[in-house]
Amino acid sequence: MQPILKVNLSTRESSDFIIPAEWERDYLGGASLGARLLYSTLLKDLDPYGPEAPLLFLNGPLSGTSGPTVGRFVVCGKSPATNLWAESNCGGFWGPELRFCGYDGLWITGRAKEPIFLWLQDNLLEFRDANAVWGKDTYESQSIIKTELSISGTHVLTIGPAGENGIKFAGLYCDHGRSAGRTGLGAVAGAKNLKAIALKGTKKIPLAQPEIFGPIRSASNHFLKDDTITQVVHELGTAGVADYADYLGGTPKKYFHQGVFEGVDKVSGSAMAETILVGVSACHACVVACGRVVRLEDGQKRKGPEYETLIGFGPNLLNDDMPLIVRLGEICDREGMDTISASNVIGLAYHLFQKGVISENDIGFPLNWGDMSGVSRLLQLTARREGIGNILAEGSRQFGAHFGAEDEAVQVNGLEVPYHDPRGVSGMALVYATSPRGACHNKSDYFLVDWGQADTSLGLQFFERHAGAEKAANVALHQNWRSLCDALVLCLFGNVPAEMVAGLVNAACGYDYKVNDLLRIGERAWTLKRAINIRLGLTRENDNLPKALLEPLPDGPTAGYVPPIEEMLTAYYNSRGWDSESGKPTPSKLSELGMEWIINDIWNR
Amino acid sequence: MAVKFPSPEWLQALNDKLNTDTHYAQIAKTWEGDMIVIIEPSGPLLEKQYYYLDLWHGTCRKTEIMKTLPAIMPKFVLTATYANISRIMKGELDPMSAMLTRKLQVHGSMAYMMRNVPTVLDFVRCAREVTTEILE
Repeated sequence: MQPILKVNLSTRESSDFIIPAEWERDYLGGASLGARLLYSTLLKDLDPYGPEAPLLFLNGPLSGTSGPTVGRFVVCGKSPATNLWAESNCGGFWGPELRFCGYDGLWITGRAKEPIFLWLQDNLLEFRDANAVWGKDTYESQSIIKTELSISGTHVLTIGPAGENGIKFAGLYCDHGRSAGRTGLGAVAGAKNLKAIALKGTKKIPLAQPEIFGPIRSASNHFLKDDTITQVVHELGTAGVADYADYLGGTPKKYFHQGVFEGVDKVSGSAMAETILVGVSACHACVVACGRVVRLEDGQKRKGPEYETLIGFGPNLLNDDMPLIVRLGEICDREGMDTISASNVIGLAYHLFQKGVISENDIGFPLNWGDMSGVSRLLQLTARREGIGNILAEGSRQFGAHFGAEDEAVQVNGLEVPYHDPRGVSGMALVYATSPRGACHNKSDYFLVDWGQADTSLGLQFFERHAGAEKAANVALHQNWRSLCDALVLCLFGNVPAEMVAGLVNAACGYDYKVNDLLRIGERAWTLKRAINIRLGLTRENDNLPKALLEPLPDGPTAGYVPPIEEMLTAYYNSRGWDSESGKPTPSKLSELGMEWIINDIWNR
Repeated sequence: MAVKFPSPEWLQALNDKLNTDTHYAQIAKTWEGDMIVIIEPSGPLLEKQYYYLDLWHGTCRKTEIMKTLPAIMPKFVLTATYANISRIMKGELDPMSAMLTRKLQVHGSMAYMMRNVPTVLDFVRCAREVTTEILE
């Protein structure tokens, strides 16, 4: 791999960091390599907002090539929302541009005295004054910085007011509305007075065996183009699955408390395609093009919502007004806030208002289900930490705790639950309970496996969507594969056979890995992130689900069902070779994965 | 009478089933669209087969075994090997799983397909129920 550029914002010093060859071999890149690089830094007393806190941007060995769905990068660190391991990946073109600059990563520490942005042109780094864009939204900031730099093809990653104001679910945004939204790393950038990073590179992506890589790349893109999920996502966006998710009872409604919503047919990728869709957008070299371009009544073209935004501001709030969802998603993108967490915490506010836990005195106006008139105001208050927004900005767990109702918050370890209800697809119960960054649907999109996307070449089996402990090993296997995808920063829609992925990795890096080797790399990284979290204070008790998901829904396709989480967890620990009492990876499992070096750290020897 | 899949008798039996099944009539009452199921040869099936069905508002207006694809393409083209489609008919392979794992390729409007998953699944139920014997 290429070097990582280390930058200290306090001292304005920078240096090249050469990645040790054995770390490349064992972790490949992306979030997995990030976990290895940050292992010794991410300790309990590290303040995520402190100058010493790292902000590590990484690519994978396929990033920026013309392979299948390889336009993403990841940012890693310690989450201010969870105080655990943080990673969030993002599409667009910024990640590949970093590789074109000759770097596979950017490792930022320190804190600038004044707001700045970094300008990296190939290997030439400049620290630039960002006072002119501080306070501006993410769209304006990208535009102003590009105008200032005036070099065609420059890509800008920026935070919005939410990141500047330390909102716990602030993200980083590039290429209009592509976001690294989860775990609050935008707030970490804000605490460093780092407004943005602009890139323009001219170098070639290094490939060990380009003559082998080319034909596999071509075949895999053709394969991907012909895939059914690709066709659905290309035609309908990621929200194309909303109809089927709802049919199986996997779409949360009324903040996870209702199984049926009359207006649900108006809120899906199909409904968008039938009404406001006017185009699509793609990340670097992507044949899927899941991005939506919509036109509202004002005639302006806008980014259309993906699945999570659509459900979060739609059925989750009992709202079926698609144009309003588009506008609410845009407010989040502009202010620089994650739409999952933002819609979740607002759902909690509605829920607590209806329960009488909070009142108009707390909010300033009523929050009655179906009345969406106050939501855009709540988002703006949140981004600026004004009034009730100052409490919403802390995320669901803290918002609930502030009003003595923490257990009403639908979150795991401080990260808000995305919109795939485990009562509809039980595999997501384990996924949410054990994800290394709090409740997350991307560390394993197991809902697709529960729908039937069981890739037998990986050894996956198909279990009934309400099966329990018997699917635990399958979930762990799928997590290992997705952990490998996170090492490559491969988009989850890059649905190509595992053998092709192995071929691409080998041709890019000069390895001779088989699929089983890749799964082992995935398992190693999954285990390492677990070890990081254990050192940060995570215990067996943290592997759980919020109260709402352990209560049966009164109606709908999944009425009466709750996932048997305790039985599933026990089976899960056994399948992983983890101690079922403590939830820690056993010394023998760590040795098996070549990770003897962390045994003492997590077993206090 | 045993109805063996695939055969002209099987297609006729499916036609009859779709026109008499009250559950299908209800669930597919808004469906408008014809389809061709292409069965690729594998195992005991030696030649490619094209089964045409014109489905309309919970009924089947026409079925036909074709020799090739028609000049005017139907709303949907479904393609699977005989091995995979016989597993669907025997209930060994879930139809959504088949679509998600490329064992059943679908070409046509994905918006319409995703909107009408219950109809698609009930169509498969009807097809399974008329199948009493499979070409082995």
